[in-house]
Amino acid sequence: MGFLLSCLLRLVLWGLLTAETSAINLLIGLALAVLLPHARGPRQPLAPLLRALWGALVAIPVSYGEALSLIRGGGDEERWLEQPASAPSQRLVIFLEVLAITLTPFTLVLGLSRVEGRPIYRIHQLRPRPSTPNPADTRRIEP
Amino acid sequence: MTTILKALEPFADPVSLLLLGAGLLLWFWGTWPLLEAGSYLSKLHKLSVSDTLGSTLMLLGLLVRIPGQWPLLCLALLGLLVWNTIFGYVLARCSLPPQQSEPAAAARLASPTLRP
Repeated sequence: MGFLLSCLLRLVLWGLLTAETSAINLLIGLALAVLLPHARGPRQPLAPLLRALWGALVAIPVSYGEALSLIRGGGDEERWLEQPASAPSQRLVIFLEVLAITLTPFTLVLGLSRVEGRPIYRIHQLRPRPSTPNPADTRRIEP
Repeated sequence: MTTILKALEPFADPVSLLLLGAGLLLWFWGTWPLLEAGSYLSKLHKLSVSDTLGSTLMLLGLLVRIPGQWPLLCLALLGLLVWNTIFGYVLARCSLPPQQSEPAAAARLASPTLRP
């Protein structure tokens, strides 16, 4: 499935780059998509991949909302968080999750770690200072 | 589809100008903190607003203005969203001291070394 998705993405990129939908051009794109080296590794399950893709798409409008909050907000508050991550063997899912978290202006991924055997993202958060304490859905690391 | 596009044509210019202007505003808002005395990571958060979100609005404005160039503009949009974001991640990750990049150092995350 990962192979098919990778070929499809390459074909779409080729189509956008050449802006031509003739059969010969699509055949060249398909040949390139298949022949260019592919990443090796464990199979990538489809369901978590689609969930992560949806999460990355949803992050785009969310990021504009967060940008507006940052622009409107007075003082900013910086925090360090950790958030559960998918298994590191699911590379595409990790890529999409990092993309979704980093795209939103409140949060930046600083890396992937293991705490008690569980993979977690280390996240730096910047958000407008709330007037009342707001319990976050992620665990806060106290200094 | 063509009829809808024709009906929307008079709105294309103002919408495009609005998107370009909003993108420019985000550019300035996110770039200004670079000159201030905030922490490196807070500057990176704000830069992502201007660099990624502002530029995306500008590309959308161009898309409305010159729809004939949609394949290249969509490619630029995709590239901008993905690579700008991942570049921000790389910059944030590289800002950590070497010992914090190691998995075993997760417990030391709250180190104040990055704060001014």
